[in-house]
Amino acid sequence: MASVLHPDDTLPPVLAPGETYASVTEAVSAITLQRRFGKSWLAGFSVAVLLTLLLTFGIGWLLAFGVGIWGLNIPIAWGFAITNYVWWIAIGMGGTFISAALYLARKDWRTSLNRYAEAMTVFAVSVSGIFPVLHLGRPWFFYWLFPYPDVMNLWPQWRSSLEWDFFAILAYLMVSILYWYVGMLPDLATLRDQAQTLARARFYGFFALGWRGEARHWRRFETLSLLLAGLAVPLVFSVHSMVALDFSEGLVPGWHSTIFPPFFVAGALFSGFAMVLALGIPMRKWFHLEAYITERHLVNMAKMMLAAGLVVDYSYLAEIFNAFYSMDRYEIATTMNRIFGAYAWVFWGTILFNVLQIQLLWIPRVRANRAALLVISLGVLVGMWLERFMLIVTSLYRDFVPSSWGMFYPTFWDIAFLVGSVGLFFVLYLLFVRLGPVMSMFELRKLVRKRTAESSNPEAKPA
Amino acid sequence: MPSVNPAGAFDPEAARARLAEARGPIFWRSLEELIDSEGFHRWLSEHHPRLAETFDIDRRGFLKFLGASVALAGLSGCGRPPQRQIVPYVHAPVGQVDGLPRFFASTLIREGYAQGVLVESRMGRPTKIEGNPQHPASLGATDIFAQAAVLQLWDPDRSQGVLYRGDAASWDDFAAALAESNARFDRDGGAGLRLLTGAITSPTLSAQLDALLRKYPQAHWHVHQAAGNDNAASGTKLAFGMPLSTRLNLNRAQVIVALDADFLSDPAAGVRYARDFVGRRSPESASATMNRLYVVESTPSLTGAAADHRLPLESGQIEHFTLQLAKRLGLAVDVRDGVLQQTQWLDALAADLQGNRGVSLIVVGATQPPWMHALGHALNFALGNVGVTIDYSEPVEKLPGDNGTLTDLTTAMGAGLVDTLLVLDANPAYDAPVDLQFAAALKQVPHLLHLGLYCDETGAMAEWHLPLAHQLEAWSDARAYDGSVSISQPLIAPLYEGRSTHEVLAALLGDEVSEGHALVRRQWQQQLPDDAAWDTALQTGVIADTALAVRTVALRADALVHTAPNAAEMNPLELLFRPDPTIGDGRWANNGWLQELPKPLTQLTWDNAVLISPLLAAQHQLVNGDLIELRVGQRTLQVPVWLMPGQAPRSLTLHLGYGRRRAGHVGDGQGFDAYALRSASALWTAPDVQLRKTGQRYELAGTQQHFNMEGRDLLRVGTLADYRHDPHFATASDRYPGTPPSLYPEYPPGEYAWGMSIDLNACIGCKACTIACQAENNIPVVGKDQVRRGREMHWIRVDRYYEGQAENPRIHAQPVPCMMCEHAPCELVCPVDATVHDSEGLNVQVYNRCVGTRFCSNNCPYKVRRFNFLQYVDDSIETLKAQRNPEVTVRRRGVMEKCTYCIQRIETAHIEADKASSRIQDGEVLTACQAVCPTQAIRFGDIADARSEVAQAKASPRNYVMLSELNTRPRTSYLARLRNPNPALPDI
Repeated sequence: MASVLHPDDTLPPVLAPGETYASVTEAVSAITLQRRFGKSWLAGFSVAVLLTLLLTFGIGWLLAFGVGIWGLNIPIAWGFAITNYVWWIAIGMGGTFISAALYLARKDWRTSLNRYAEAMTVFAVSVSGIFPVLHLGRPWFFYWLFPYPDVMNLWPQWRSSLEWDFFAILAYLMVSILYWYVGMLPDLATLRDQAQTLARARFYGFFALGWRGEARHWRRFETLSLLLAGLAVPLVFSVHSMVALDFSEGLVPGWHSTIFPPFFVAGALFSGFAMVLALGIPMRKWFHLEAYITERHLVNMAKMMLAAGLVVDYSYLAEIFNAFYSMDRYEIATTMNRIFGAYAWVFWGTILFNVLQIQLLWIPRVRANRAALLVISLGVLVGMWLERFMLIVTSLYRDFVPSSWGMFYPTFWDIAFLVGSVGLFFVLYLLFVRLGPVMSMFELRKLVRKRTAESSNPEAKPA
Repeated sequence: MPSVNPAGAFDPEAARARLAEARGPIFWRSLEELIDSEGFHRWLSEHHPRLAETFDIDRRGFLKFLGASVALAGLSGCGRPPQRQIVPYVHAPVGQVDGLPRFFASTLIREGYAQGVLVESRMGRPTKIEGNPQHPASLGATDIFAQAAVLQLWDPDRSQGVLYRGDAASWDDFAAALAESNARFDRDGGAGLRLLTGAITSPTLSAQLDALLRKYPQAHWHVHQAAGNDNAASGTKLAFGMPLSTRLNLNRAQVIVALDADFLSDPAAGVRYARDFVGRRSPESASATMNRLYVVESTPSLTGAAADHRLPLESGQIEHFTLQLAKRLGLAVDVRDGVLQQTQWLDALAADLQGNRGVSLIVVGATQPPWMHALGHALNFALGNVGVTIDYSEPVEKLPGDNGTLTDLTTAMGAGLVDTLLVLDANPAYDAPVDLQFAAALKQVPHLLHLGLYCDETGAMAEWHLPLAHQLEAWSDARAYDGSVSISQPLIAPLYEGRSTHEVLAALLGDEVSEGHALVRRQWQQQLPDDAAWDTALQTGVIADTALAVRTVALRADALVHTAPNAAEMNPLELLFRPDPTIGDGRWANNGWLQELPKPLTQLTWDNAVLISPLLAAQHQLVNGDLIELRVGQRTLQVPVWLMPGQAPRSLTLHLGYGRRRAGHVGDGQGFDAYALRSASALWTAPDVQLRKTGQRYELAGTQQHFNMEGRDLLRVGTLADYRHDPHFATASDRYPGTPPSLYPEYPPGEYAWGMSIDLNACIGCKACTIACQAENNIPVVGKDQVRRGREMHWIRVDRYYEGQAENPRIHAQPVPCMMCEHAPCELVCPVDATVHDSEGLNVQVYNRCVGTRFCSNNCPYKVRRFNFLQYVDDSIETLKAQRNPEVTVRRRGVMEKCTYCIQRIETAHIEADKASSRIQDGEVLTACQAVCPTQAIRFGDIADARSEVAQAKASPRNYVMLSELNTRPRTSYLARLRNPNPALPDI
């Protein structure tokens, strides 16, 4: 049996016993092809669409009147938009990591998770991408960050981390879409073949790009998947390091820190894993996928979330320590302001969600409890949002010159963009789970084959 | 016709409603139809009889004329070029070069007194005011009001036409009406004719008034100045038996005692006094003496903030303090012992004054009673200061005869003695003391004539409201604080139908000369007989040798008999009324620049609040923004509180000028009307006020929330003794002395290296720099809501810090423009290269390139960058466009902006130097903030040139840069502030 973490592990295997090629294909394709739109799906989708409409209206309002509709000011010139951006792009990281890094590490328990995690990545990165553009004072000129040849011979300013961030997001968005789509090709072909109506067959056939399952196809597919996974994994680290540099490049106390890149990567994985759990646990129940997303998956995810969380917690500690160790009065003042100042509740909220509650995951019974896992992962998502808000706002609101100190109060539109972005994410995600293969059928079939091979040849069982 | 009901009557409301809905061609058709209707004709002849006449003659003319009152919205877009042929000029006006500004010497009159200015005119549009270096009250600088005058000129809310009972009328109509009354006045000698004006120093106006009172001996002239200086005039009467003007020679004073006297904000001479005062505070100067200022005051003022020793005392206590001081200095006064605890203060002060006989100065404030002024004069005599640090002259202001006050006028109005009241540029319906019930009395006046810039509270009640020509539109003259006369030249023909006070008085007089220029010229015909002399006077801005001669005076023997100190040992709680630091007595309420200019000490904008001491606030559990109810006698007012460090514990201060009801779009409804509590008997101090917490809150908009420097060394202060001990005391505590190394290479040196030095020892925190910058650089007004959100746009702000105990802190000010860092953190983080370094060391913001990431602002440790979060520049009002400086880009929403060191002025100098193939000389480029600064605290120039003024300032041992440890290498540096405390007093 593959990926046994402990020899005396009592958890169920990554695939329930008795599954066959036909049963896994049937189970996954039925969700897309046969299952009716349930009431709960419709309800959820309606809410998501309403929130997306709010976001759309908000964008219109923003373009008409300017970023002043938000609570921004001098000194706090970045607020919810950048917080949302970092939060969403970090959520995306978790998906890529699960799918690509575990792919490279040949961890087969990723098989039932990778598809929806990748979809989550693509949607989260897409949602995150709207914020850096919309937060601009003149969003219609966002393309000036792109080094295109223009008649004035103007180029971007390469010392700015925002410039590199622009490329990082673009590269990441492209690679994650490619990786997700390429990985879906064999399954789209399966859906095409399983479709009972011509329209559906044509729909999936269009996206399957003529996949026929030839050996030649498979060979190229494997090569491309490996390449893309190889590209995606470093991107996870580089993109979020780049996001971190958006802050640590500044001389603002609370930002100007070399620990930020690894700290941000850990935070990204932390929130990404939390989102995978928060999406997976309800989906597993609603679509009756217990045979594929088993207790083992959840427990493994919980452990990874705990591990990432501990790195994040360490970074918190290191940051506070370094502030005092530096003996820099401004760093110390910012740290004290974070902990005891006007936004202390944000700091302590972060501590509650990102430090304290995840310690429960040390307990096996908590890890095995799906409700508890769901609550904890939602808590982590809230905590990580608060953390980004804290990093941005509490660094800016009281920096060097006390005469310029100020406060940030969110407006209605700040809230609207936050909940609207959640709505947009769920519109995309809910559409995907209805229209696309939520699990990788071909990889599940590979797992069935592997298990069959193992049971017929017990000696081949890996250590 | 739907708007004409079956009976054929015209219903204007219905017509208006219908026109509001109508659009385009339909609108025109229906308006024509409307006007042709029978009912309309009838309505018109009933309601606007005069217009009905016009109407029959010229229908098109009518459309132009009344259209606005019928349907303003529909007509506003229908302007068209004039019908007459227009011709471009073939011979340009003398001196006019298209595109280049010209400067004209003129005079702005503030509360009667002249401030000499140079007005920048661009293609006929006045756009900016500078001080006139030759004028004694200016010396090249101005106060904030002079800067704001140019916005007032272009204010679209200004009164634009003659109104008869609120309806459009014309000057001819007024002339006709005036002819009738003139005939009546001729018969009865002007019985029932009254004039009400503000303070007047204008010789032309004085002569006209005299002529009027000669012609109509029964007429009366009254003066009303809401925040006037009557106490001082009465004080000289007590002391010398006649009213005299007092002139301070602060440049000769070594020890100055200000008793509730804010001479640095004096309306007549504040700018000059600030220069004189600061001129004697430079430790580097040759004399190397530094004056010492003691201030005893109830509520912190600019003068109090500049003090070496400041003592907060309630207004009533100041009287006792002065008496005690007088006794110590040997004057025969009765004092009650035990009233004051400040014996150490008094002893030290008396000793210091004794030690500086002849070079000391006692100044008593306008809010103190006349006998205090008399006592002040007696003290100056006793100390031998008269003739050295203080001079007397004939009164500069024209003083009314007996019974010339507003109270007298009200009495006469109540008695039905007033038939015609002509109010010249005053607004008593708003700013009269409440107990006079002036507005009610006004209603009994059959003919109220009001000449004003705005159709304000008084104008709204007037039978005839006449638009006053703005100071920049009319000829006039006025005296400065020392009596020097300067001429006010119009820079532009009146934008609307305004006429000057001289022209209106000439009409009233039936003068054969009716035009403003001729009136003023006639006045000076004798003194300036030929045109050359007249032109010289206009060019220099001052008529030579018109300063009033210094008079030798003798103190009356009974000068001190009226001494009547406050009977109560201590008022329960006193309420002080003071003119607002930025909108004065209310006349500037519709000026957005002044409304948004943070009050120098509280940093509040757009509102007044009652200032209370932190101690009192603690007693009543009040915090900033709590709404309290003040009760004076039977009158109450709800007003928010603001905790004022350094406020006397039992004094509450409420600024006048807010709560305007008819100021205009900007000023209406802002703040709280302090006049509602002010009575004629207690103009400055209501001795017994009760306060009650309402439990409600009110949002105040301040630009600074935190007044504690948190122990950071942003603003460095030492004493004169510190400086003598170690001239480099300011940089002694720098974490990295000198310039720390950097990984980045130096920029190659450019042709010039611009830099700025700000002398905190000279800065008095008056904020003229902020508003001058606003005028020069087209900085928008954002409004109270945006200020509350922290989005004010000022490029140079003046930070205020309080140091020490809240009861009596040291008060500091620090102007902060862009630091123009050589290693600028903002430049590093802009992804599109919108903020770049230029070859002369400027950190330049390229508006067109800016996409608005705002990272530059986040990364600016000095937080001097300002962002257009919304569309702040008003691009819909035409007159405001005319005010703007064409050499400075108007920024639209979404871009970052900041101080440029007035790059447009640098470029102008560059062009001139290039034309002359020479270099820019030191002093050829003055930034707007530098030019306006009354104390010349700001110096600017080429720091690479060791002989330049700025390089020499930076060579001072007091030179330091803000946040030097960040190694941003600012081009703007500061000179540390010095205080000169008396060693005999504890330095708190």
